[in-house]
Amino acid sequence: MGRERDKDWDRDLYKKVDRYGIVENLSECLQCGKCAGNCPVAALNPSYNPRQIVNEILQGRVKRLLDSEEIWRCLWCANCYRVCPVDIHYPFLMMQLRYMALEEGYGLKYVVPINKYAHRALDAGLTFVPGKYGIEKIRKLRTSIGVEPWPEVSDRAKKEFRRIFELTGALAWMENLETLEEKPVTFSFLKGKILSRGEVSK
Amino acid sequence: MSVARRVITPQEQIAEVPEKIFLFRSCTGSMEYPGTENAIKEVLKILGVEIVSDPDQSCCAGYILTCSGFTPEPALAVTARNLGMVEQRYGLDTYVFCNGCYAYIRELAHVLHTHPDYMKQANDLISQWGYKYEEKTKILHVQELYYLLLDKIKEKVVRPLTGLRVAAHYGCHYLAQQYNILDEGDLPTFHEEIYEALGATPVFYKHRRMCCGYAVGRGFTHKESVVQPQLSKKFDSAKEDGVELMTTTCPGCNVALDREQPNLNKRGFGPYDIPVIDLGQLIALALGVPLWKLGFNANTTPMDGILTKLGLEKGEIGDE
Repeated sequence: MGRERDKDWDRDLYKKVDRYGIVENLSECLQCGKCAGNCPVAALNPSYNPRQIVNEILQGRVKRLLDSEEIWRCLWCANCYRVCPVDIHYPFLMMQLRYMALEEGYGLKYVVPINKYAHRALDAGLTFVPGKYGIEKIRKLRTSIGVEPWPEVSDRAKKEFRRIFELTGALAWMENLETLEEKPVTFSFLKGKILSRGEVSK
Repeated sequence: MSVARRVITPQEQIAEVPEKIFLFRSCTGSMEYPGTENAIKEVLKILGVEIVSDPDQSCCAGYILTCSGFTPEPALAVTARNLGMVEQRYGLDTYVFCNGCYAYIRELAHVLHTHPDYMKQANDLISQWGYKYEEKTKILHVQELYYLLLDKIKEKVVRPLTGLRVAAHYGCHYLAQQYNILDEGDLPTFHEEIYEALGATPVFYKHRRMCCGYAVGRGFTHKESVVQPQLSKKFDSAKEDGVELMTTTCPGCNVALDREQPNLNKRGFGPYDIPVIDLGQLIALALGVPLWKLGFNANTTPMDGILTKLGLEKGEIGDE
């Protein structure tokens, strides 16, 4: 990464990230680091640090956050949220930070393939419906234990489920992602960090 | 409203033993491991709890939301729709058997509760089909009911799991709740208490609280860089402590832990060979539910060794 410029920083970043107003207490963060200490990803990837990411969001270091690989590593195990002394909902923060990155074209490769399942869910009313071969396997399996070959989801449920996605504009938002141009993501926080054994600086 | 507490007793969570519950269908549970849902139905039948389900219930819409796949508006409306439907038609508490559904529904219901404008928006949207969500009923997990009925389960054991070394995978999305759950996230023990009631030997392995890694789609995108190294840590510690069987309360975790073992072995970790089943299936096993109803043939890491150890043959029709 080259020299940082003014436009790489954004004083109002926090409000832009928390666009749905569901992590309203972020500025109460004590920077205690309990989140980082309880994070299984930080244990494997020393450059990923939830405490640091909260700090960067509050300071408004927009450039460095959006094109970073680190923000895609969170597993949503929510241990950070569990131990947070001021109840910051870090998982919701991460979800919304990822929206922002996606809209700029970063990390599309981590979401657009999964959205294939979202499109199928709109037809089936169930998430993670497999392909033709998988469906056949499920039918056999369910028949063998004496239940209906396919989970009972009514046409009404399917229709209303899809309609909700159309009416809220979520389907259009999803489809828009598929038209965006992918920008590369890199490790932004690795320099100056202690590397775990066997890991090399990229 | 009383002061919110993190850990509460099952009696506080479920005021009286319900005669009837609404069982929320889990997508992964009903497709990947249909035996899970069947086992829960059989166990609750033995415990005298009637189950109601409804084909008009849709997916909870939480998983792909948390993958940042879409925005929260539809997920909030879907939550209001499902919960509103249950309230209006049955007036029963919603019991979930997937930690994923549990966390997503509870978090989204909490967002609706604390943001009246989102509640209005969701209710306006679903009112066209006649639904209205008024927060009259609770969202609970089936494992809370097991724990509440522990003494009754103990009485009904006909096939004690003596000598079986069972270990728990609690799943993050239950214990990572901040309020009103049954145990402390650092050292939970209520699953182990259930194992003891079934006659099995609970094993406390080092990384038993470690995440399965499959939430928010990281199993698709970061399998090799994050999920597999982490799972290998988990299974190494389980193997070291001689775990024979692992149970989950989340079909999502079950997929990660069960289906990923052959892949880990191929990558040079392990080798691991620890079958992973749902807690409901374990209880059903001890309560003498016929084996064919439990659907162990859905498991990638086979249960055969465990069944042989218990003196059961795969496919055997049980005590009925």
